[in-house]
Amino acid sequence: MKHLKSFNKKAKMLDQTTSPDEVEEVVAMQSVVGCTSTNDPGWEVDPFGGLGSLCQPMESDLYGCADACWWPAQVPDTMSSQPNWSMDVSKANEDWRKLEGIFPEEQK
Amino acid sequence: MNISNIFKTATLLCAAGAVTLMSGCAANQAVSVNGMAADGHEYLLTVTRPNQLHVIDTETKQVVRSCDVPGTFGTGAVQPSPDGRIAYVLTNGAEDVYGFDITNCDITFSAKQSQNGVKVKTFISLAISNDGKELYTVQNPTRKLNDRYEVLAPRLAVFNTADGLDAKSVRNFPVDRRITKIMTMKNGEVILGGADIKAINPVNGEVRMLSALQNWARGADWIPPDAFAMFTQGEHVGEYIMPYFTIKWNGDPGDMEQAEFWWGMSRIDIATGEVDERETVPFEFIVFNWITDPNDSNILYGAFNQLSKHDLSQNKTVDVIDLDHTFYSINMDRSRTIYIGGTSSDISIHNPDTLEKIGSIQLTGDMSTSDLRIARLL
Repeated sequence: MKHLKSFNKKAKMLDQTTSPDEVEEVVAMQSVVGCTSTNDPGWEVDPFGGLGSLCQPMESDLYGCADACWWPAQVPDTMSSQPNWSMDVSKANEDWRKLEGIFPEEQK
Repeated sequence: MNISNIFKTATLLCAAGAVTLMSGCAANQAVSVNGMAADGHEYLLTVTRPNQLHVIDTETKQVVRSCDVPGTFGTGAVQPSPDGRIAYVLTNGAEDVYGFDITNCDITFSAKQSQNGVKVKTFISLAISNDGKELYTVQNPTRKLNDRYEVLAPRLAVFNTADGLDAKSVRNFPVDRRITKIMTMKNGEVILGGADIKAINPVNGEVRMLSALQNWARGADWIPPDAFAMFTQGEHVGEYIMPYFTIKWNGDPGDMEQAEFWWGMSRIDIATGEVDERETVPFEFIVFNWITDPNDSNILYGAFNQLSKHDLSQNKTVDVIDLDHTFYSINMDRSRTIYIGGTSSDISIHNPDTLEKIGSIQLTGDMSTSDLRIARLL
């Protein structure tokens, strides 16, 4: 992390609140409260700076990213917080239109 | 039915017909278990959404049986028993394990790992002892308290498979965090694939280093490797294989003009424990795993967006073909037929010599991150 510089307000707050000693606990907590604390950009560019080594098509990679908390910024976390998100869609390449977006629950 | 009962049944069937005896019963009587060809016959095992274990005959390329797995889809990790009869499946958000008799879908074993306010996740890690009596998982536990979560240390959990349903672990030993793919060696130790590759004695918990990766000591000219142990790992030839990526700088760190980009591997002979750790071929495209050709240990096959063939003796990629879509996992049967699975709902079948696609197996749902394992039914 020493090579990264906080860029926005949220990132600066994260820097202030998390000491290096707590990093392992934060990582482990992903298995309980969901993996949305993972900072992994994903899906934009491959290791070579191109697109050829990204998963193709996206539908082939959709559940592989959701089930293992791989690209949590893009797909729901089916391991912990949204286990039923895709229960009715067995084949993403055929029925991806039936998959709905996930939104924060309304506060009552 | 165990192996001795199978032979007894075959013998009785033969004895019932004198004509059969005269014509040579042993040669003609095919061994089967619940109607499935046995005596080492090979079946592919994988899991698809919504949550089904599929048993596929490698000879006919047909799905023989699909078993409903309790709970929501996990990560699709599957571990066959040594006799090929039971398939242990990680399910329910990577928390529970169920054992299925692949000849009739009967559930013979279950373990709910989250207990008493402690949530346990197992990331891929399933292995079984050589005698089939013990099942191993790596547990990542956290305890939910009234005002906070308490992160607990990861551990190897040992289950007795004979405990049947609702089994509890009988021994636990601390292990490193980040463990994914594990495999049992012939000496009984369990390989722990993670930041480094270590082996743990599941009797007393003693851990030793097999292949240092994050902690290798090559100096500043190499970056610590980025390893990936998630999919099927070389069981068809009795080895555990994990690819890694690294950079050799050949000068100032960060100077991309001088740098060499390499795939490497840690390959462990599970019979001897011998470790083969080395760079393999230049890093030109992605593979998610390799398998070794049983006829030549210098030949590797890899899969992701391409199916590739590599020759370690030349450090070269010798053949590549594009696949229909991305696949995650690759395996090979006794006749060297290549199966590529994971991601979507089709298993792609290929000739190992030409890499040509020679068939496809359609399944009822996406495999996602599921394993593609070979069970040899005895």
